[in-house]
Amino acid sequence: MTINIQTVLKNLGLSETNQGVSTGAEWFDTDGKINTSSSPVDGKVIASVKTATLEDYEKVVQKAQEAFKEWRMVPAPQRGEIVRLIGNALRDAKDDLGALVSYEMGKIFQEGLGEVQEMIDICDFAVGQSRLINGVALQSERPLHRLSEQYQPLGIVGIVTSYNFPVAVWAWNSALAAIAGDVVIWKPSSKTPLTAIATQKIIQKVLRDNNVPEGVFNLVVGRSSVMGDNFLGDKRIPLISVTGSTAVGRRAGRIVGDRLGRSLLELGGNNAVIITPNADIPMAVMSTVFGTVGTAGQRCTSTRRVIVHADVYDQVRDAFVGAYDKLKDKIGSPLDEKFLVGPLIDEHSVALFEEAVSKVQQEGGKVLFGGQKLEGAGFESGNYVMPCIAEAQNHFEIVQEETFAPIVYLIKYDGDVQNAIDIQNDVPQGLSSAIFTLNMREAEAFISQSGSDCGIANVNLGTSGAEIGGAFGGEKDTGGGRESGSDAWKVYMRRQTNTINYGADLPLAQGIKFDI
Amino acid sequence: MITKIITIEDLTEDYPKSVKYLADKGIRCIKCGEPIWGTLEEACLEKDFTQEAIELVVKELNELHQNGNSEEEISYHKKINIKNIKKKQL
Repeated sequence: MTINIQTVLKNLGLSETNQGVSTGAEWFDTDGKINTSSSPVDGKVIASVKTATLEDYEKVVQKAQEAFKEWRMVPAPQRGEIVRLIGNALRDAKDDLGALVSYEMGKIFQEGLGEVQEMIDICDFAVGQSRLINGVALQSERPLHRLSEQYQPLGIVGIVTSYNFPVAVWAWNSALAAIAGDVVIWKPSSKTPLTAIATQKIIQKVLRDNNVPEGVFNLVVGRSSVMGDNFLGDKRIPLISVTGSTAVGRRAGRIVGDRLGRSLLELGGNNAVIITPNADIPMAVMSTVFGTVGTAGQRCTSTRRVIVHADVYDQVRDAFVGAYDKLKDKIGSPLDEKFLVGPLIDEHSVALFEEAVSKVQQEGGKVLFGGQKLEGAGFESGNYVMPCIAEAQNHFEIVQEETFAPIVYLIKYDGDVQNAIDIQNDVPQGLSSAIFTLNMREAEAFISQSGSDCGIANVNLGTSGAEIGGAFGGEKDTGGGRESGSDAWKVYMRRQTNTINYGADLPLAQGIKFDI
Repeated sequence: MITKIITIEDLTEDYPKSVKYLADKGIRCIKCGEPIWGTLEEACLEKDFTQEAIELVVKELNELHQNGNSEEEISYHKKINIKNIKKKQL
């Protein structure tokens, strides 16, 4: 399949210079900085975006406040119907949006398609959930009283997304927020504004055709000088969802916490795979290689550490190196389907990758494969690297950090599986984890209360590639937030306890007497 | 013109050579592939730079970009100077 990016841009309604602020179907001409978006694939400028000013932000917030008053009164299943239509519009645009995700972000086209499929899946999930927003009936201690809980819309949800999943994370948040009766303001990554604008253009026809109030789905492309601390600190926004680094999340949590707002933080991971002597080794290696090099190691859930039992260490190490060796010829333009590994997002990420390779060696580790920046034909953008395998110790400073690039550390363990679990848990982050074993006791120990301390713990599959049906997020420095499936919808709503007295008396709780 | 209140995002986008310069001072501007939020001053204070050291960083960053100097061209003495006036504790 040959992808013509100019055709893709045209199909998605993008031009040389694009407006970066929208309240749904309407777009605003802004006076903010003009940012250019360049592709990590070939370094070429794709298009420009007119970013927001503080005045534009203010206009959008006011519009969102007005829209919320209307949107919250629309029955949830009808809100779900709008989300269903958005899902269909995304289905129609899947190939084009997937290609743009690939070109602007650098992930391979198959993963670009997968990202759009995730958007579609969460829309489907949200449609069903729109009829299942439920509460509970409880037992009152007082006669002729009814006690219950219900969930109400929250208000404006601020969504900050990262470049590595430039559109799916918006969908995770906004599909659930929309069926919950909330309105959203989306600040996309400054590195991937075009995919955000394309997404807004895809949904705008649905919004217009169905008279969705302006202000329900808002997009504000702006740097953190315009959409930064002021956005986080805005009391009109009860919930801020941030996907990004632990550093950004810590700042967001502090600012939102200071005003007693809610934050949903999905931050960095330092994800490990444990391979025990009882593992299906070929399956473990195959699965883990996708986890380490998929999206060029730029997923929050990318596998950073592989903890291998000493009895099978040499076998696993050799299989890993062999698998990476086969990848050598599969690094290149993500739009060409013969390649499996694309570029890093920019030269800064390449520098951090090289720094990590150097640092692991300084700390006593050994590079077994790769670790170089690639040069020559096809790599002119300077953003391509040879994925790296390094032997290391878990306590190395560099191993304790998340390097957002394809570098994986092999770590040896001895004895019982609990030793491997302890190593796995001994990092600041707690997003995703996995064990490969055919031994039921080891598997159960891994997912027990003394097992993995991560938000995601898998058995016989890797750390990356979560389905939308489960709640997604992690513990410790990963932030504790949960997005997407299961009961994550509750984050987007406020819980209300209702007590109704349908009797003629006024009994007080706890039997308190207060007779006047 | 770079000032201490410039955001790290503006710095990395508009003055990309700053990233390596600051990395050598122990300040990492990029995490998870994205610029950290906050100002240059905040990033320096997190690493216990004094106001005097921050002023010097600002001055050198401006020199680096105005003269098109590479990071390596900033004199060794200036680098040492920053290290010396960096406080251990605020």
